[in-house]
Amino acid sequence: MRTSLKKILFLFAATALWAGGAIAEDNPIVLGIPVGLSGANSIVAPSMVQAAELAVSEINAAGGILNRKLALEVADDGSGAAGAQKAYDSLVFQKKVDAIAAMETTAARNAGLPIITRGKIPYIYSSFYEGGSCNKYQHINAWVPQQMVSLMVDYFMKDQGAKTFFLVGSDYAFGRGLLGDTNKYITEKGGAVVGEEYNPMDANDWTAIISMIRAANPDVILTSTAAGAPNVTFTKQLRAAGITSKYGNYALDEGTAKTLGPDAEGIYLGGTYYTSIDSEENTQFLKAMHEKFGAKTETPNELSVPLYDAVHAYALAVVKAGTTETDAVVKALSEVTFDGPRGPVQMSKQRHAPLTMYLAQVNAQGDTNIIKSYPNVDPGDQCPNL
Amino acid sequence: MSDVNLKEWSQARHLRPRASPLMRMLVVATIALIGVGVTPFFIDAYSVNVLVRSMIYASIALSVDILWGYLGVLTFGQSAFFAAGAYVTALIFTYQGFSAELAFAALVIGIAVAVAMAGLVAFLAFWHGATDLYASVITLVLPIVVTQLLFSGGTFTGSSSGLTGFETVPLSIEAWFWVVGAWLVILTSAAWLYTRSDAGQLLVAIRENEQRCQYLGLNTSNIKAVIFLICASIGAIAGWMYANYTMVVAPEIAGFVFGTELLIWVALGGRGTLFGPVIGTLIIDYASAHLQGDFPFIWKLVIGVIFVSVIVALPRGLLPVASSSLNWLRSLVIKAQPKERTPMQLRQASERSSTAANEGGGAALVVSGVEKRFGSLKVLSGIDFEATYGEIVSLVGPNGAGKTTLMTCIADGLKRSGGTISVAGVDIGHRPPNQCVRLGVGRKFQMANVFDTLTVGECLQIARARLDGLSKWHKSGICNLPQSALHIIRATGLDNDLDVPAQVLSHGKKQALELAMVLALEPKVILLDEPTAGLTKAERTLIGTILTELAKTEQLCILLVEHDLDFVREISSRVIVLHQGRIVLNGSVDEVVNSELVKSVYAGSGH
Amino acid sequence: MIATILDIITTAAILYIVASGLLLVFGVMKLINFAHGGLMTLGGYAAVIATAIGVNPWIGIPLAAIFGAIVGLGMERIVVRSLYNRPLDAILATWGLSIIIGQIITLVFDRGVHFAEPPIRGVVSLLGESYSTYRLVLTVLALLLGLGLTLILKGTSLGLSTRAVIMNEDLARGLGINSGLVRTVTFTLGSGLAAVAGALITPLSSVYPDMGTAWLISAFMLVLVSGSSLYSLAIASVVLGGAQVIVSGYFGAVLGGMTIAALAAVILRIRPQGFSYE
Repeated sequence: MRTSLKKILFLFAATALWAGGAIAEDNPIVLGIPVGLSGANSIVAPSMVQAAELAVSEINAAGGILNRKLALEVADDGSGAAGAQKAYDSLVFQKKVDAIAAMETTAARNAGLPIITRGKIPYIYSSFYEGGSCNKYQHINAWVPQQMVSLMVDYFMKDQGAKTFFLVGSDYAFGRGLLGDTNKYITEKGGAVVGEEYNPMDANDWTAIISMIRAANPDVILTSTAAGAPNVTFTKQLRAAGITSKYGNYALDEGTAKTLGPDAEGIYLGGTYYTSIDSEENTQFLKAMHEKFGAKTETPNELSVPLYDAVHAYALAVVKAGTTETDAVVKALSEVTFDGPRGPVQMSKQRHAPLTMYLAQVNAQGDTNIIKSYPNVDPGDQCPNL
Repeated sequence: MSDVNLKEWSQARHLRPRASPLMRMLVVATIALIGVGVTPFFIDAYSVNVLVRSMIYASIALSVDILWGYLGVLTFGQSAFFAAGAYVTALIFTYQGFSAELAFAALVIGIAVAVAMAGLVAFLAFWHGATDLYASVITLVLPIVVTQLLFSGGTFTGSSSGLTGFETVPLSIEAWFWVVGAWLVILTSAAWLYTRSDAGQLLVAIRENEQRCQYLGLNTSNIKAVIFLICASIGAIAGWMYANYTMVVAPEIAGFVFGTELLIWVALGGRGTLFGPVIGTLIIDYASAHLQGDFPFIWKLVIGVIFVSVIVALPRGLLPVASSSLNWLRSLVIKAQPKERTPMQLRQASERSSTAANEGGGAALVVSGVEKRFGSLKVLSGIDFEATYGEIVSLVGPNGAGKTTLMTCIADGLKRSGGTISVAGVDIGHRPPNQCVRLGVGRKFQMANVFDTLTVGECLQIARARLDGLSKWHKSGICNLPQSALHIIRATGLDNDLDVPAQVLSHGKKQALELAMVLALEPKVILLDEPTAGLTKAERTLIGTILTELAKTEQLCILLVEHDLDFVREISSRVIVLHQGRIVLNGSVDEVVNSELVKSVYAGSGH
Repeated sequence: MIATILDIITTAAILYIVASGLLLVFGVMKLINFAHGGLMTLGGYAAVIATAIGVNPWIGIPLAAIFGAIVGLGMERIVVRSLYNRPLDAILATWGLSIIIGQIITLVFDRGVHFAEPPIRGVVSLLGESYSTYRLVLTVLALLLGLGLTLILKGTSLGLSTRAVIMNEDLARGLGINSGLVRTVTFTLGSGLAAVAGALITPLSSVYPDMGTAWLISAFMLVLVSGSSLYSLAIASVVLGGAQVIVSGYFGAVLGGMTIAALAAVILRIRPQGFSYE
């Protein structure tokens, strides 16, 4: 009891000091990172924070931006809209950050966008999502369904000869959006969707849906369960039920696949980043990660690497604009290209980016092997009015 | 009119000339409104922004306090009404777009939906005989059901994502601050007026002793339901503001975790104080916004620890502690003054037309073939008797003979298993106690059954609530009582104790107070369960005299359960002997006293 | 069909395991322990610790029992003891304790999701269906738990005292039974069972600071409709758990999620004593 009280007093004293000290430290450019430290996204959040921290230390090691240091301000968004709203409010109006880069759920992004609009600061969204989000301050450097669905479905139908699909999602905008597109595409290509079921994001009992899958006995199960806990509980329960259909997962990242252990074996993944990508930039990135974080390195993944790219892209844009002034930076963000672990990424297509897409599969050791790659896949028309 | 009291009352007024509570409230409210008006100019935009949300939360916390702190209904479900208001607004704006008319429609529909939900909850939770725990359980189920319904709405309600990106009432943050702040001040003032009024005391009476309220002829289920509906509307209005202000609705706002958070704020601020929950919510939510970012875990841990400590050690919350320490500080500076209270003024109620004289002389109470079973156990069987106006009938018999059970069957039409009972010529059917009171049944319980924290005067007012109604906005300071009740009050000296909380009364005075409360109902038949138990000889004689007088002058029919056979002999006009759930003798005092059967029954050797 | 029946049986078994500790506390103390969810979370983390130190996953279960019992004992001594006469306040205070447990877990671990190694993997073939071995093992464990608790209550003197306190506490005290001790032991045992339940469900779920909350309401509703009888709890678990499985199957998992709460509320409205036959 005594010690915890002391600890609290100490922490209070520490903030007071820190708040005083921050102003003294030579006015850095501050990038806000709202992230789901708690809730469904908490499983991937540490890897994102690491990726952002690495990018910042690289930028500062190279002399900062416009002779100013770059600093991060991380805020917990609770993986939901209500938490995101508090986090964005705090970042924009209390911490007065210069820009925000974020991997978040659609709900959280939508909750944050009005605040971005009110605060008038540049915003880079770095999560794959269901597409069509347009805001004059927003850029997006991750994949949308147009870049993913056809690759995944075509692979199963053409290469694996699959006919019947069962779609399972977490009940949120991304889950429904992506599976809706998938359903349409499968039907167009002559396949059959034998089931499409959703569970709320915080649900942890998949018994009923798994029973339906068992009854339907599909060739392929395709899921867009939310990254983190839902992915894990569904996969565990599916494996425990002994269902042998092929299993493609739109939203499972490499790190989570590793922690899932043997349960993840055989899962097909789609995305833009895997640690096994064979490029100079990726090798360097992985080396830098291990140098900076050592044994505590979280596996870089589909969610963390775009954030790493986003931080760099922001730095490049500020340099190009020569100022942190919002309109100039937003304009520059569409023009700069950052050549990172995912290859060159430029958010030039209506604020979205053409990307190199990969299909991969998890092996028995939990490692993810790339099966196929498709360079420079276009995001299509996402924001024709921007 | 009680001259003595009237004199004392006017003296007291003369002695302490000060602003009426209404005036003081208006002054405080005006100051608060001015405070709301100027605050945005003195604090930074982020704090204004956070405070708007905190004030919206405070307005629901206020409704939780009315339900929990005053009415005693521990509700986990206020979040569901908040969500109803918020989601209706968000859905309308999302699918119909924004316009001033639609914004108004959203408010009205939101309230309507919340009220409909609250009606269902009230129907389930506040039936006659439902326990407090059951009511709480229903309020706990509500947010769970609502959350799942929001999830099952799929893309329509946005499921886990909620709804975002809709256009809302275009006000600046400062304007919202003023709107929400003014609403909070007005709402708090109105709640303050109401809870300090005579009708507000009724809420406390229901919390303290719902059963007594029912036996005073008050439909407590209805009263609870109405307050619950009003609080649901307050929640829906808060939800409307929330959706408009934040432009985001998510299923979390409907959940029971948020419902419980409201309870935490109320408990910390001080339940039953109105200001405590409002101030508590503002401070905690505002501090959370500033501290949660930097110390997320520690902050929540600290709140958790304080919450548990407050519940265990300071169940009334922190505001009462703060205000009593303030008072203590003030008492060091200024000489202590007696707590000012408007003394109650007793008046004689105008005579109501219906007395025994014009009932045509029929029986006051007819009991025929009444039986009561608990499972296979027969507690009463074949009970037949009549009693007329002006009669004092004593029910005697050993413990377990069924005397109290019989009383209960007469006062509560839902209790008996068979047979009929009519009061003043009307069959009581399956009427609950509050409706039996309407027929003219007044019941006094064995243990003095009064409202402990209310004053004697307030207890009497509650007893008159059915006949006279209660003021909803102030303390009238007046209580009309029939002659019989006034007589008891005066004879027992209770008229000097009108401002004393009932719990500090002596046992005898409590019994007298309860009897006066029963008589205040202007009953035709009164049921007295051991009115002399635990009384001194003198008190006993006094009660005996009063009862005999009552029967004679008011033509009341008095049914008495009594163990004291001397007392029975002195006052009864007739005696009924119950044994093992049956009437074994029904006759005059002499007949019974001399009966061998009764002696053997009491000696325990019967049968 | 067979799969559905197995789902119902195993779901009922899981519910029974989750609710039994709460039932014990409610039966003896007439007090609702809202820290039950927090204690389950604690048990889940015990399983995580067992995985982290690399011992046999089954060790996580006694470890959880020890954690839960110690924390439960402390809670009873410091907080719950003073709330015996304030049942509604006890709900709130134990909810507060649940928050404290959750936050301390967060401070020690973090907010993220953790994994525990499941004791058993794979499926077995049963009546022509291949079915999760672990869920079947849970069913056996639920039966053993019910049997064990019944034996303790019927066969030991402490059990006799406990039953006496359940039936009539004043009378029991009058007969010289130390009802304070009975309460302490019951709360400790109930807390231990909650933690064990938490450890047992980890293979089906992931472990995070809030994991118990999702189960709390179901357990609470089951206990309310069961009164204080372990038999009634078994019946309630089968009926309500079965309803959940069927509703989830026909109307979707989302509506299934509210089946237990809604159905229990209706049952209590119609029959306040629920499934208990008193």
